[in-house]
Amino acid sequence: MDTLARIKDLASKEFSLDAAALDPAAPLDKLGIDSLSFIEFMFKVEEEFGVSVSDEDLKGIRTLADLERHIATALTSAGKA
Amino acid sequence: MPERRVALTGAGVVSPLGLSFPTFHDALCEARPGIRRLPPDIAQGSGVQVGATIDWQGSAHFKEAEAANLDRAAQFALVASAQAIAASGIETAAHPERCGVYWGTGLGGANTLETAYKQVYGAAEWRLRPLTVVMGMSNAAGSNVAVRHGLRGPFANFATACSSSAMALGEAMHVIRSGRADAMVAGGSEALLVPGTLAAWQALRTLAGADPADPAASCKPFDKRRAGLVLGEGAAAFVLEEESRARARGAPILAFLTGYGNSCDAVHMSRPDRDGQVRAMRSALEDAALAPDAIGYINAHGTATSVGDVVESEAINAAFGAAAAAVPVSSTKSLHGHLLGGAGALEFGAALLPLLHGVLPPTAFLDQPDPACKLRHVPKDAQRVAPPRAVMSNSFAFGGSNVVLIAERV
Repeated sequence: MDTLARIKDLASKEFSLDAAALDPAAPLDKLGIDSLSFIEFMFKVEEEFGVSVSDEDLKGIRTLADLERHIATALTSAGKA
Repeated sequence: MPERRVALTGAGVVSPLGLSFPTFHDALCEARPGIRRLPPDIAQGSGVQVGATIDWQGSAHFKEAEAANLDRAAQFALVASAQAIAASGIETAAHPERCGVYWGTGLGGANTLETAYKQVYGAAEWRLRPLTVVMGMSNAAGSNVAVRHGLRGPFANFATACSSSAMALGEAMHVIRSGRADAMVAGGSEALLVPGTLAAWQALRTLAGADPADPAASCKPFDKRRAGLVLGEGAAAFVLEEESRARARGAPILAFLTGYGNSCDAVHMSRPDRDGQVRAMRSALEDAALAPDAIGYINAHGTATSVGDVVESEAINAAFGAAAAAVPVSSTKSLHGHLLGGAGALEFGAALLPLLHGVLPPTAFLDQPDPACKLRHVPKDAQRVAPPRAVMSNSFAFGGSNVVLIAERV
């Protein structure tokens, strides 16, 4: 499973959403994901991928596609990709 | 201005005796016990032997992800409140600013906090899940109820140990009487059967061990053989409404909440005080404008501790005078255990049994009444009676908080 598919899978479980219907380009609030829920979600994403996203980087994440890019970058710099 | 009378139009229960108000009442009628030997994964090294646990599957009531973000105490609160709101048929969305939530709990999100502490101190893992604070805080259960139903009126969370949820009910009644709201969801929840909290209770040397013959019979209020309280968990919720509005919409009125007494012993942190309890009972009677002989049943606090039951018996006799000999008294904690912050609301629900169905719930396992507890007991089994005019429910807490509620039949 690629990174985006894993993120969508996690998001669908966390927010009880249909993974297939998750638009990676949609703003998170349009998906019904508020800021606190997203922080909790990020905790699980970091666990899943074994990476850490800084508070600064977190502010720039507005969509699942943004999240995928950050995770991919973190995995590369950690030598995990 | 005529007094705004407060009707009870819905009730919900999540308890060791059943997961609804009717099943809770059925269990009381049948004296069906909810106390059992604690499984090893709950008791662990605490030394606590028995408890009144609920076989709870969060996933039966919530989506899996939702359940994972709600402490057990909040899950109980949400389920009990939803039952109460559904039973009352109230449309909270019509006037959300006129409907609020008053809730009571002793410890709040005990499971969440224990999980966090275990991780930090037990495993030196300091990276805690972000929802730890909002799941663990003591107002989480009540706030979740308000969020779920969009109740935007007055909100408060009471944490006065064993009187918490009784106080929530009494204060919610005042909110409606004073005109600050027309309807309130009020009650309480507790879920603290976790090893660390059990160990703290065990240290207090106030818990009963397992009855060697029958663990279900370990809590024996007012009995010579009583050995202490048994902890339980659960929630109870009620919908309170201003009478004229309840009648106008044809709501099912269960009873009226008419009396609320609140006092503090101001004597000792854990030793109960007769005079403080008397003040609360008298003040509830005065609030309801009732003479003691109008009360046809008292649901006692009756924790089954050696001192507590004697002091409460003396207090009832002092507050009721000559009427004390005639008023039936029982402690239903012998069946459902002590729900601490949730106890007042659950036992208020038990006290409604005589009003609604003409049945006095018993003090189960009361075979050998202690002569120092001179009361008209309802020993062992439920008794049929003509529904009385009014009932009383006592809740007395560590810290010296005393709360007494009175309900009257329709």
